[in-house]
Amino acid sequence: MPKSMYVDPKQAFKKRNIKFKDIPVCHYDKTIKDELDAKNFTKADLIGIYADMVAIREFETMLMDIKLKGNYNQKDYTYPGPSHLAIGEEATAVGQAYLLGVEDFIFGTHRSHHEVIAKGLSAIKKLSDDELTEIMKSYNNGVNYETVMKYSTAKNTKDLAKDFFMYGIMCELFAKDCGFSRGLGGSMHAFFLPFGIFPNNAIVGGSGPIATGVALYKKCNQKGGVVVANAGDGAAARGPVYESMNFANMDQFKELWEDGYKGGLPIIYNFNNNHYGMGGQTKGETMAYSDLARLAAFTPDQMHAERINGWNPLAMIDAYRRSIDTIKKGEGPVLLDVVTYRLSGHSTSDVMTYRTKEEVEEWSKSDPLTVFPKELVKAGVATQKELDKVRDTVIDRNKRMFMLASDLEISPYTDYDKNPNFLEDLMFSNQTVEKMDDRACDVRMPKEENERFKKIAGQARFAYDATGKMVPKLKQYNIRDAIFEAIFDKYYTDPTLISYGEDVRDWNGAFAVYRGLTEALPYHRLFNAPISESAIVGSAVGYGMAGGRAIVELMYCDFIGCAGDEIFNQMAKWQSMSAGGLKMPVVLRVSVGSKYGAQHSQDWTALCAHIPGLKVVFPVTPYDAKGMMNEALKGTDPVVFFESQRIYDMGERFVKEGVPEGYYEVPFGEPAIRREGKDLTILTIGATLYRALEAAEELEAKYGISAEVIDARSVVPFNYDKVIESVKKTGNILLASDACTRGNILNDMAQNITQMAFDYLDAPPVVLGAKNWITPAFEYDAEFFPQPSWFLDIIHQKLIPLNGYVADQNFTSVELNRKSAKGV
Amino acid sequence: MATPVMMPNVGISVESCILTEWHKKKGDTVKAGEVLFSYETDKSTADEVAEVDGTVLELFFNEGDDIPVMTNVCVIGKEGESVEEFRPAGEAEEAPAAAPVAEAAPVVEAAPAAPVAPAAPQEGFVKCSPRARALAQKAGVDPRFATPTGAEGRVVEKDIRALMASGATATPASVGAYEGQSGTGLGGRFSVNDINAPAAAAASVAPAAAYVDEKMSSVRRSIAKAMNTSLTTIPQLTHTITFDATEIMNFRKKLKAGAEALGLGNITLNDMMIFAVSRVLSKPEHKALNANLIDGDTMRYFSGVHVGVATDTDRGLLVPTLFDADKKSLNEISAEAKALFAEAKAGNISPDKLKGASFTISNLGSLGIEHFTPVINPPQTGILGVDAITTRVREENGEIKTYPAMGLSLTYDHRALDGAPASKFLMDLKNTLENFSILLCR
Repeated sequence: MPKSMYVDPKQAFKKRNIKFKDIPVCHYDKTIKDELDAKNFTKADLIGIYADMVAIREFETMLMDIKLKGNYNQKDYTYPGPSHLAIGEEATAVGQAYLLGVEDFIFGTHRSHHEVIAKGLSAIKKLSDDELTEIMKSYNNGVNYETVMKYSTAKNTKDLAKDFFMYGIMCELFAKDCGFSRGLGGSMHAFFLPFGIFPNNAIVGGSGPIATGVALYKKCNQKGGVVVANAGDGAAARGPVYESMNFANMDQFKELWEDGYKGGLPIIYNFNNNHYGMGGQTKGETMAYSDLARLAAFTPDQMHAERINGWNPLAMIDAYRRSIDTIKKGEGPVLLDVVTYRLSGHSTSDVMTYRTKEEVEEWSKSDPLTVFPKELVKAGVATQKELDKVRDTVIDRNKRMFMLASDLEISPYTDYDKNPNFLEDLMFSNQTVEKMDDRACDVRMPKEENERFKKIAGQARFAYDATGKMVPKLKQYNIRDAIFEAIFDKYYTDPTLISYGEDVRDWNGAFAVYRGLTEALPYHRLFNAPISESAIVGSAVGYGMAGGRAIVELMYCDFIGCAGDEIFNQMAKWQSMSAGGLKMPVVLRVSVGSKYGAQHSQDWTALCAHIPGLKVVFPVTPYDAKGMMNEALKGTDPVVFFESQRIYDMGERFVKEGVPEGYYEVPFGEPAIRREGKDLTILTIGATLYRALEAAEELEAKYGISAEVIDARSVVPFNYDKVIESVKKTGNILLASDACTRGNILNDMAQNITQMAFDYLDAPPVVLGAKNWITPAFEYDAEFFPQPSWFLDIIHQKLIPLNGYVADQNFTSVELNRKSAKGV
Repeated sequence: MATPVMMPNVGISVESCILTEWHKKKGDTVKAGEVLFSYETDKSTADEVAEVDGTVLELFFNEGDDIPVMTNVCVIGKEGESVEEFRPAGEAEEAPAAAPVAEAAPVVEAAPAAPVAPAAPQEGFVKCSPRARALAQKAGVDPRFATPTGAEGRVVEKDIRALMASGATATPASVGAYEGQSGTGLGGRFSVNDINAPAAAAASVAPAAAYVDEKMSSVRRSIAKAMNTSLTTIPQLTHTITFDATEIMNFRKKLKAGAEALGLGNITLNDMMIFAVSRVLSKPEHKALNANLIDGDTMRYFSGVHVGVATDTDRGLLVPTLFDADKKSLNEISAEAKALFAEAKAGNISPDKLKGASFTISNLGSLGIEHFTPVINPPQTGILGVDAITTRVREENGEIKTYPAMGLSLTYDHRALDGAPASKFLMDLKNTLENFSILLCR
């Protein structure tokens, strides 16, 4: 909401018509002779296109044979993994990859063997022999290179590189240790960064937001090249795909971003429209668009949409030539509706109950693998005999590489007996990288001139003065200031750092954490995102994957639901699914509310902690907020950074020296003892800490019970040492947070503590959470969230009977089960 | 109107009585003057008789219960009358699975009643925290005797500590359950099965079985055989002498004080005994005792003195051999004897070390035995029993003085030697021990 853009009521009510332009459908009508005459191709180029199509067809045929007959090239082999084959779509992929350079990146889907192979073979053609050798030698410590060198019959570097590439992809599919992602990605996630191939994605439309984020990285960091987001027509129904296309086309790119950064994102949304989303027929059954290209109505330029004959590789190349030009002019993104057809089933288990034999037969008549070579012969590019030789050479490579990749001695599986921590060690990269690039940071003013920075300098960095009296709230350096300070500092250290989310600019974030940033930063480092949580998180995943560092914000924790796939399947998993090949320096800020009812008040630490691959932290003091944000921003792992709206104005009450002005880190995983005691341990997550401390005071004053209060600070990772030590001393533990009790991550912790300290426990560890209800209005806050008195109630009933105490809340086991049986 | 019957207040110092027998049960009709129940104090037993006619509506206690005086024990009245108002506090009837509590009405869980130490253990399953259980196991006390003060009626750590402070000792059943063993749970934890099983076993064994037949262990069988052979085939007899142990006791004190400085081990009286015996036996005049009698007609004299040292082990008596003791220093003997004891007790001693002795020493002095008749270990010809030190008096220059006297009992094979040489050996040994430091000078 920049003030510079006036919303004119006269304009808003003005009578007018919105016009749509015509979208060209299959306009390409050149012949091979035309292209040769125009010198767009040499004969060798055209034969190369055919060769690459054969490589794909043979690869898919191999998988089909293995799946259906358990045998390929007279060798028995079993492959239990997925096989979404692209037989019939070879021309589509080869045409797409033909013009793309190594610096142009592609993303794929669950059905992307063809795109990966086409892009890889295209990159090999474009890379020099030296570059290829360097890539091969440096991958996997040269293990793959040595294997291929030993068995390859290649006479030149390019042929060797083709062997190397086909071998790596096959090993990846077969889950071998030599796979391009050590076998951890597999068929639906195969990729190879050095050739400009980014991950495929098993979630339909999953690549949409991620590819958009990589395009955002290219723009914000002024890197060249275009990004291709491949999707099927089924993905055209996915919300995240719409969100991404809107995100990539935001008006601000043209209207507000600075010179040098203007224009839409450099991305082509390439819908390989094979007419089926698995079995559902998109046009005519599950979609409303009639023609997929109609999706382009998003923007006034209609995303330069075209519908292309994807069965003609030359039509694809023609469309890509124009699309790449459009993007280079800064007029992207582009939408392509590529007509194609898969002659094989959705997968090898597809019995094709949804289409007729006749339909498949009719399409088969135009199979590009039959038609294209015939036309080459007809145009005098090559004789049939010459093409047959090309075909045999390609098939021979596939067979040779299959023999290597399928061999258990040459290409073993990962040995978990020898290396039981193999995958464990890949869950996080745990690196320290101060900045992701070395160039100067693009900022609008020196740090010292920033008004917020100046204001914070005058705040009390410890909540109490020398006499022990509390400093007035407004004079305290608070959690809001602490988060700002860490992020502000990083903006002046890491030039790749960008931050976006809903209302982060001008508004300064819904909770004013970013006040001061708008003045300090250009648009391309801080901008308002559309209300598109999938696109916000998904694009940050792409931004991090491409080599940048991003902080994105979801305003309310509850909106995690809107970005479920992006957080749980993408952000969490790509580091390990790429066997460490990708890093994910992304911080996702989520704020836990309390005042706005059921959809704005939830603590979802448990949801995030449940998913392997995410670091989950919840600082509740200014010292921790700054130190842990610094820790998050120096690392290379995805961090879900929880904040509580109850305590943004909380001053520092524990670190007497005050929150340091300089840089420091608070390592994740170490809980902090906030109050020492001997009779009872209370472990809290989140703002509940302060209510636990109140309860501890009352326990001491009225009942002589001394409670030790520990602030978890971090949920994943979490080191139990301090807690266990405390429990060994006290024999009792109460765990508390504002999350609903059922499924609360504290139950997990209670269980672990029981295991680790069973013989020291004087009572079962008990969890005190919010009720298993919707959050009622703030007026009923005390009926729903744990109150100090609830601590005493549950302690009295479950841990240590308090002399003469009269409980209010009922925490007895009978009551627990009554509610449970009722589903509450 | 129903009438409650109280446990009578039978004396100023009596706080409670034990109900020993019910003469009426719930539902019985009773006439005034009929005995309702018997009870006992620490001094006497007595009967309580009914003062009214009616039906016994409720019994609040069981036989064996320790009941505070002036507490209602039962109620007599007409059928259908309520007894609830007479029910003593803390004896609430087992609550029917607590009725669901209306959300609107906050529920107050009654604070646990002031704990009353149960005189008898809790029956059945005992709620006991793992921490309390671990402490109970370590301390060897039975958690069933603890008064639970924890939440939900659980025995917690401080209850076990209270029990320990009260001087409670473990019952036989709980000793079996806890002491010096580990449970069958993971990591040696005691599980419910462990708690119940030994108690059940103890209950079934203790009162019932008149005897138990058990096969002897192989060690026991071989000891039995050797003893039988010895006493049925060897004409053996025992001579006893005492000697003044002042010298060896003083010497031992010196050794003890200087052991570290001198680099010596802990040299015991037994070590000194072995040393002295080996030196005396090595004299030619005593060779008949440092010998074996083979087949009743051949004497095998040994050049070295190989002393068998009788050792009590868990598996029975073992006699490891300290070979060539006469050629070893006191410190060497001490070290070797310790090693042999340890191996014998651990049960991993090599069989070679359990044979080949030329003479045996059996020391029961540490067990307070003043005189005994050791049994020869064939084919040896002698065995020396070492007795306890006792204080004796003797006259010294007209004064009666006490001195520590130690007994030596020599059993010898009369086939191998006669009483005189056996007695001479004892005399010689006595002199040697009384002048132990001189022996060392040789």
